[in-house]
Amino acid sequence: MEKENQLLEEIANSEYEYGFVTNIETDKLPEGLNEDTIRFISAKKQEPEWLLEYRLKGYQAFLRSKMPEWQNFKMPDIDFQAISYYAEPKPKKQLQSLDEVDPELLETFEKLGIPLNEQKLLAGVAVDAVFDSVSIATTYKGKLKELGIIFCSFSEAVKEHPELVKKYMGSVVPHSDNIFASLNTAAFSDGSFVYIPKGVRCPMELSTYFRINAQNTGQFERTLIIADEGSYVSYLEGCTAPRRDENQLHAAVVELIAMEGAEIKYSTVQNWYPGDKDGKGGIYNFVTKRGICKGRKSRISWTQVETGSAITWKYPSVILQGDDSEAEFYSVAVTKNKQLADTGTKMMHLGKNTKSRIISKGISAGHSHNSYRGLVYVGPKADYARNFTQCDSLLLGDRCGAHTFPYIETKNKTATIEHEATTSKIGEDQVFYLNQRGIDDEKAVALIVNGYVRDVINQLPMEFAVEAQKLLAISLEGSVG
Amino acid sequence: MTPQVTLPIYDDLLKDFSKLEMKAEHEQIRQKRRNALEVFKRTGFPTRKHEDWKYTAVTPYLQANFRTNGSVPIAPVAVDYLKLAAIPGLDCYRVVTVNGVLQPTEVALPSNVKIRSMAEAQEDAGLLKHFGSVSVLDKAPFAALNTALFAHGFFLEMDANTSLDKPIHLVQVLSSDAHAFVQPRNLVVIHAGANATLIESVVSTPGTKVFVNSVTEVVLKENAQLQHYVLQMAEKETQLIQQNDVSQSMHSLYSNYTFSLPGSSLIRNNLNVALDAQQTETHLYGLYLGTGNQLIDNHSLVDHKMPHCNSNEMYKGVLMDRATGVFNGKVFVQQDAQKTNAFQQNNNLLLSDEATINSKPQLEIFADDVKCSHGSTVGQLSKESMFYLQSRGISEQSARAMLVNAFAFDVTEKIGIPQLEKFINHKITAHIPALN
Repeated sequence: MEKENQLLEEIANSEYEYGFVTNIETDKLPEGLNEDTIRFISAKKQEPEWLLEYRLKGYQAFLRSKMPEWQNFKMPDIDFQAISYYAEPKPKKQLQSLDEVDPELLETFEKLGIPLNEQKLLAGVAVDAVFDSVSIATTYKGKLKELGIIFCSFSEAVKEHPELVKKYMGSVVPHSDNIFASLNTAAFSDGSFVYIPKGVRCPMELSTYFRINAQNTGQFERTLIIADEGSYVSYLEGCTAPRRDENQLHAAVVELIAMEGAEIKYSTVQNWYPGDKDGKGGIYNFVTKRGICKGRKSRISWTQVETGSAITWKYPSVILQGDDSEAEFYSVAVTKNKQLADTGTKMMHLGKNTKSRIISKGISAGHSHNSYRGLVYVGPKADYARNFTQCDSLLLGDRCGAHTFPYIETKNKTATIEHEATTSKIGEDQVFYLNQRGIDDEKAVALIVNGYVRDVINQLPMEFAVEAQKLLAISLEGSVG
Repeated sequence: MTPQVTLPIYDDLLKDFSKLEMKAEHEQIRQKRRNALEVFKRTGFPTRKHEDWKYTAVTPYLQANFRTNGSVPIAPVAVDYLKLAAIPGLDCYRVVTVNGVLQPTEVALPSNVKIRSMAEAQEDAGLLKHFGSVSVLDKAPFAALNTALFAHGFFLEMDANTSLDKPIHLVQVLSSDAHAFVQPRNLVVIHAGANATLIESVVSTPGTKVFVNSVTEVVLKENAQLQHYVLQMAEKETQLIQQNDVSQSMHSLYSNYTFSLPGSSLIRNNLNVALDAQQTETHLYGLYLGTGNQLIDNHSLVDHKMPHCNSNEMYKGVLMDRATGVFNGKVFVQQDAQKTNAFQQNNNLLLSDEATINSKPQLEIFADDVKCSHGSTVGQLSKESMFYLQSRGISEQSARAMLVNAFAFDVTEKIGIPQLEKFINHKITAHIPALN
């Protein structure tokens, strides 16, 4: 018991390992948000008139919106006017090769293990690295271009493919969806854009690393992925951020659109600075992620490993509009110290024979609180809809909390819905069993936790699974060997 | 909060309160009324913006011109109507209330049970001690309203270390041709080591238009046991908001069985059980059968405050026609409540295209050495089972009834009174629609 407590203590006190600050001069806008700031951002990015108007519409919605009150934690007072809405790395020349990239930046990427340079390309990952809102380098573009795949920064897409952006932007997450989505619409800095043409199977995992770097700059990413009929794409998003003491706001919007027979797999590893052990500092992560299975037999799958952020507030959702479409949500959320996570998903079954599957695994340690909040909705026309939900919580220590708020709304008699949830701690009997076989406490806990999250980790692409396991190891330091 | 001026009943109720102020009453009760009124003034009638009332709109039912407190009829009803509540073959002690007003009992109760009207017992030390001690009003607008304005109700006491040879059958008759707003307030105290069975049947006379907002506080002392059955069988034009607040002491056992049967257009049950001491056991069983345009909403809260408590909850719903079912089961496990076992399950059967179910099982856990789980399902009768039965010469109608009875079995088998079990099974069979 003594030992166990010590272990828990170590877990609870382990510090953030990716905390370092890169010193690069950034071009920053003064703090505050108003129509002029929005016009400035829009002009700076040389955006067309319609986009500026759309931003302003988002701004109006933002002014009208209230902060949400239903979440299971005390919402901090966020002063939206104390945030700078635009920052970009200084040396802003057109870069031809990686040699021209700021070496300090490259070093940062290297620390993060991003396979950006030539040797690392062998890892088979095309990276559109977003460093404080502006894309620095995009690789593998040629190969993707041959297949007709568009993978570029959002601002580039606005210039090169305005018709696609105009058609789909805001079609899944409307500008007035919630206060953070409205804020993002008004002030989004940059992001990624992916278009997979009909019948194309994207041959590599597309990945983007977000990194919040400049002091006091909120980051408002906007991602739009469109998979046309019969196509397939797997997209990875991973984040780490340097440590600092002021809270930072991150309000991203991700929209996925899957046409008939298309499949989108979206994986996230999120490890932003969670604050120190007293809960000081840390990122506020308020993200709106939503996908739509537009056509028949389309498929969307969200996988997330959430270990960072002081507050995580995100519900990657899927609207199952096309008949026979399928959606999946796999999540591991780890909270420790004073972290708060309120996360889950929404599955909106509208089409016939639609299926969804939700697997959520929460691990809470220290003084943290981890909530699963999910909605499964079956509309009157969604005949034979099927849902399976499992959400489990593991408690490490007696000062943490685990909560589940599943909503099930069914308006169709042919629906079959199952929901189950369990909450428990690591059993002394389980640890004892492993001890007997010569496995020490620390390794035993590691084994049990690994087994516990395996259903989710298995869903990640291989390279990511490795990173995710590394993250879990760091997050639960002292217990995971 | 929400302006209430649009509802005429809101002003009527406030007027009633000033009348009540004139009446002689124990100062302690009066003070509780005042505090509760303040709470209600703050919250007003809940709207769908309140998380707890997200799926249940009550204001449409409150538009009429209601008779409130003094103007509600309290005359005894002819015995015929009690037949509605009779459970065939059941031998019991019968107690009747009409619109919340306790009627003289036909057969005297054994000496170890005391039942008095609230007014009669208002000086009783036991009543003053427990009245308003169990209900938490802050987030319960209707309970606050009831506390502020109740006019009638009963106080039932069971002596320590005694039991009864047969159950108490409490028949609550609702009867009023004009719209009436009835607010009964009851208190049940089961003293240490006592064991009681209470069957509450809510029935109404034909054509009755009554909106009931009742609160019953139940106090279980050490080692006390209460089997509490609630049968809701009132007619279509009645609305029931029934709050049951239970407090359990050490080693006590509380079992609640709530059967919401076709009838009342709106049923909202708020069942809150506070486990205030160690080593308690709680069972909550529920069965709701919704037909027509019924809305049946079951909200329950089991609050584990102390270690070594067990709770078990199982609610089953069968929804037909355009009926809507709502289930929200909360389990709180507070930081001190180590070694808690809490289980919760909600299964629903949708038998019609227009039926709706909103289910929300909810766990909030602040202690680590606990075993808690919940499950929720929505489904329909399996085609294979139907085919199997029909291939053996059983009509479709009977096959469906059999399967629905089987679905409800998990709950009905827990009924400790055979006559009542038979009665409920019969009710289920009677309400299974003939064809799709």
